Order: sequence, then C-alpha cells, then structure tokens
Amino acid sequence: MADEQSTDPSQDDTVIEERSQEPPPPPPPPPQVQAQAGGDQSSRDPDSAAPELGTLNKDYTIPGVDPDDTDPYRWHTGEKRDHGGEDAIEVIDLVKQFGKTRIQNGLNLGLPDNEVSMVLGPSGTGKSVLIKLIVGLLYPDAGDILVHGESVPSMTDDELFEMRKKFGLLFQDGALFGSMNIYDNTAFPLRQHTDKSEDEISEIVNRRLQEVGLAEAHYKMPNELSGGMRKRAGFARALVLDPAIVFFDEPDSGLDPVRTALLCELIREVHEENGGCYMVISHDLGTARRIADFIAVLWKGRIVESGPSEELFNSDNDFVRQFLNAEVDGPLAMD
Amino acid sequence: MVRSAADRAFLPAKNLFEQVGNMMILTGKTIVATVKPPYPYGGEFISQFLFALQLCWFPLLISTVAFGFGAPGLQAANFLTLFGALDRLGGFFILASVREFAPFVTAVVVAGVAGTAITADLGARKIREELDALMVLGVDPIKNLVVPRFLSLMLITGLLNIYALLFGISGGLFAELTYGQPLGGFFATLFNNASVTDLWGSVLKTTLFGAIVAIVCSYKGMNASGGAQGVGTAVNEAVVIAFMGVFAFNYVFTQTLLATHPEISAIK
Ligand SMILES: Nc1ncnc2c1ncn2[C@@H]1O[C@H](COP(=O)(O)OP(=O)(O)O)[C@@H](O)[C@H]1O
Ligand SMILES: [Mg+2]
Repeated sequence: MADEQSTDPSQDDTVIEERSQEPPPPPPPPPQVQAQAGGDQSSRDPDSAAPELGTLNKDYTIPGVDPDDTDPYRWHTGEKRDHGGEDAIEVIDLVKQFGKTRIQNGLNLGLPDNEVSMVLGPSGTGKSVLIKLIVGLLYPDAGDILVHGESVPSMTDDELFEMRKKFGLLFQDGALFGSMNIYDNTAFPLRQHTDKSEDEISEIVNRRLQEVGLAEAHYKMPNELSGGMRKRAGFARALVLDPAIVFFDEPDSGLDPVRTALLCELIREVHEENGGCYMVISHDLGTARRIADFIAVLWKGRIVESGPSEELFNSDNDFVRQFLNAEVDGPLAMD
Repeated sequence: MVRSAADRAFLPAKNLFEQVGNMMILTGKTIVATVKPPYPYGGEFISQFLFALQLCWFPLLISTVAFGFGAPGLQAANFLTLFGALDRLGGFFILASVREFAPFVTAVVVAGVAGTAITADLGARKIREELDALMVLGVDPIKNLVVPRFLSLMLITGLLNIYALLFGISGGLFAELTYGQPLGGFFATLFNNASVTDLWGSVLKTTLFGAIVAIVCSYKGMNASGGAQGVGTAVNEAVVIAFMGVFAFNYVFTQTLLATHPEISAIK
C-alpha cells in the first residue's frame, strides 16, 4: 500500500524534471478555439502526467467524481474561447494530489492579461489550492505553471521570492498578521519591498483603508474584527503595492450584498487604474456578472469551459449553463 | 492481515523517521539562513529571548531546587549516610547535577514551557495562513521566525543551565542541612571534583538541547494542520519528540565527553 503511494510522486517528479530541462516554452499559440482536456490526452503515454480515466479509483479519488462513473468528463469540452489577448498565467496539465485525493487532475487554464478573470466552481474543487500552486506555495505533482512565460515549479526559492513581488493575494480568510494592527498589516508590503518614507506609506495605507471602509478601524487588531472586516483589510494589503497579478480568494464571502457590490466596484476601479491580471474566485453569480471579463468553470479537477463572460453565460454546455444560471436541473446535484 | 497489522505498528515509526529527516533539513536551512545576509531577525531575537526568559525562570527555579533537593540530594544523602560519608555529597553533585540533572531539568522546562509556546504560536499562524501570507509577501518564515527562535532558545537554554546548576546545588545544600551536616565537606568535595570541562560540557550540551527543542517545536508548529485541534496535536507531538531528541542526544554527548576526557571519570 505504502509502496504504491511512494512510487507515484517519484514518477511525477521525473516528469517535472524533464519539463524544466526543455528550452523555454514557446510563446502561447495564437488564440483560437482549442480542444484541451479530452482530445489530446488520449494520445499520451498512460504513465505520464495527466492520467487516463481508466485508472481512476484504483490509486486515487477525485472529489465530486463517482468511482463508478466511466465518463466523468463528458461535460468538460475544455473549450477555451478566444479572448483576443495574451495570457499572463498558463496552467498546463496540472496534477496535484493530497494523499489519495487528487484535487487537480490534468488542469489546463489560461488567464488573460489586463482583464479581470473569474474562476467559478463548486466548493472543494480546489480553487484555493490552484492559487497556492500558481504562487508557488504548493508544489505540483505533475504539469507546469507559467507566469509571464516563466515556469513556477522549476524556480529556486530565491527566484520564487523575487517573482512573488508582482503578486497580490487576498486569502480566503484574510490571513492578517495577528500580532499587528490593521494599519501595520496594510503597511507591511510597503515596508518590506519599498524604500518609501513613513509619510508616504501612511498616505498610501490610509487611502487604501479608506477605500475599503476601514479608515476608522486602523488601530484595531485582527482578532477584534469581523470576518468581513478582516477580508477587507486583507484586500487593502493585497493591493497596496499595485501588483501586476492579483488573486482574490472569495472576496465576497461573508460580506453583505451592499458591501459586495461596493467591493466589486472597487476591484473594477483599481483594475482600470493599474491594469494587470486579476483572478477572482467566487461562488457569487452577481459578482461574476458585475466584474468578470473572462470566466473559467472548474469542476472535478479540470476546466469545463472558459472564455469571455458573455459567451459563457450563453454557453450551450449543460453544466456551464446550470452553474452560471443557478438552475436546479442539470449535471450538478447535492452529492 | 499480517501486513496491515505490521503497517499499523511501524507506520508511525516510518513517519517519525521521515519527520526527523525533515527536521534535519530544517536545521540545515536554519543554519544557512542564520549566516547568509541580510540579518533581519535582531528584534525578533531579543523579544523571543525575553519572552522565553520571562516564561522559564520561575518554573525552572522551583524545578531545580526541588529536584536537586529530592533526587540527588535526599536520596544520595540517604545512601551516603550508610558509609558516614555525607561530605561526599558535594562531589556527587558535580557528577549528578552539573553533568546530568541540571541540563536535564533545564531541557525539560525549556521544552515544556518555551518550546510549547513556540509550537502553539507558529501553529496558530500556520492555521490562519499567516505563514503563507508572509511567503507571498516575499518574507522567508525560516529566516524571520525560525532563526530568531533557534538562536534565542540556544542562548537561553545555555544560560538557564548555569542558573539551574546553582539552584540544583543549593538543593543539595538543603539536603545536607536536612541531615544536620556542616557545609564545609560539601563544598570541599564539590570544588575538588569540579573541572572546567564539566562546566563547558554542561553549557555546550544545554545550548545544543536548546537547538533541538527550537527546531522540533518550530517544525511542528509550521507543519500544523487541521484547525485549532491540529495546533493542540502539534504541541503534544512537539513535546514528545523534543524530549526523545534531547535524551537521545544526551546519551551521545555524555559518551563522547567521557571518552574524549577520561580524566573527568576519576572521582576525587
Ligand atoms: N494542505 C492540504 N492538505 C490536504 N488536503 C488539502 C490541503 N489543502 C486543501 N486540501 C483539500 O483540497 C480540497 C480543495 O480545497 P480548496 O482548494 O480549499 O477548495 P475550494 O475550491 O473550495 O477553495 C479540499 O477537499 C481540501 O480538503
Ligand atoms: Mg477556497
């Protein structure tokens, strides 16, 4: 039992090694409708990264996939509709497994630069894990992740720390530093990465805190705040360096509808000001309609379909339609 | 069936070896991070040092006096009265207290008091994703959190050991007094048997105990998972592993010291 498990990662390692020795990957192909998940994987060596579905349930399980289901990916066209721009982030055949649970199972995704993208999917499909893989907090078992064309898994620690300077990340629960008040939390990235004077820092921090409505509460410690306030403080901290790539992990959960609308407004405003690749994770269709230029639907460890939001809202894919219109009838059920 | 029973019995051991390996890696990374510039950990080092001192001094005082009085003091004195050689207790205290009991009590107190605090603190930060947030903000948790704890725990354990020796020996004095002995003989045999080797051996040993406790407790904290309950489990495991590590290391150290300094084996 233990043996089978231990051979798995080592195979996966070699796959990653091979990748990292390849010359730098060619620029992304001219955007066009690509069939990803289904088609080209069946021609692969069965031992390679993204596994054949036939081996499912022997060595691992995928959340949301019934072991008896012989074709769990029938709705996954993996279709990537043209968004008419460059991809800032590319995820290629990504596999991530915790013990015997495979969270990402050959995931392919491209997130466009200079747009607000949204990754939607049922709870527990690995959306938060996907962010952690992209920023290099977790190491994939197979596959590759390119940020502005650079492979994240093959970076050294020093390169990773350097690359992360262009990231902003709002964690699902805020992840504020418990030993610092809201002001110091928000100022932290500025003190860490810039030579700005305390006056300049104070100006930037106060403006960001004002935007999220926490100017009055700047002296409070994180444990004195409600979940929604922690989230807004995390939001301010994520944006304080005007990063080129920002991830928002469920920015709207735990907020009231008005605050959610205001936060969406704010994301759009900041994006218009700074540009860059924003990736928002959410369950909320209202948020999706308000802010998303580009939508990817994640389910069972793969992308069902992705593309410009208006096209996805009118998709003829059963699952995508059910999910984006919150219909009761469709492939997704309670279990 | 047999296989699965064997798996169940030995998997924890396999898991333990894996963890020990990871702790070795953490030790290596910590040492590299300590010496490689920049050095941002000064402030945290001082605050951790004071924090550990504040937590440990009183429990250590009680433990060392009581332990010195009870175990080597009264028990050995009881034995030595058989030979009418109670004045020899001072010499015995060099063997017992300076070489073994004071370092032992110091390690137990530091692991139980300061080590658990480290695991709980880092564990809570791990659970709240603060460590992830630090890494995303380009701050290396090893350099900024583990290194100051590692250095301050080494320093504090070494220093507290000296304090523990003094209070341990005063426990011995109380034992002498309990048996109504004059203290001259105690001091005479104490200083007769004392050597510089004993003192630096004791301090070096406890400094390394501090290093073991710091690494084990930091590792367990930084790898906590499963919510608040996970932090509790991590603290519990940290203490168990730290004790095992300290005692196993103590055996190796004592053997090495006795082998390389045979003169200290001779009791005067
Ligand atoms: N560090 C981890 N170790 C083990 N399992 C994990 C870890 N992180 C996440 N998971 C599991 O991965 C699954 C997906 O988690 P997550 O990405 O948080 O889902 P969501 O899409 O709701 O954000 C969950 O079942 C979770 O239990
Ligand atoms: Mg999540």
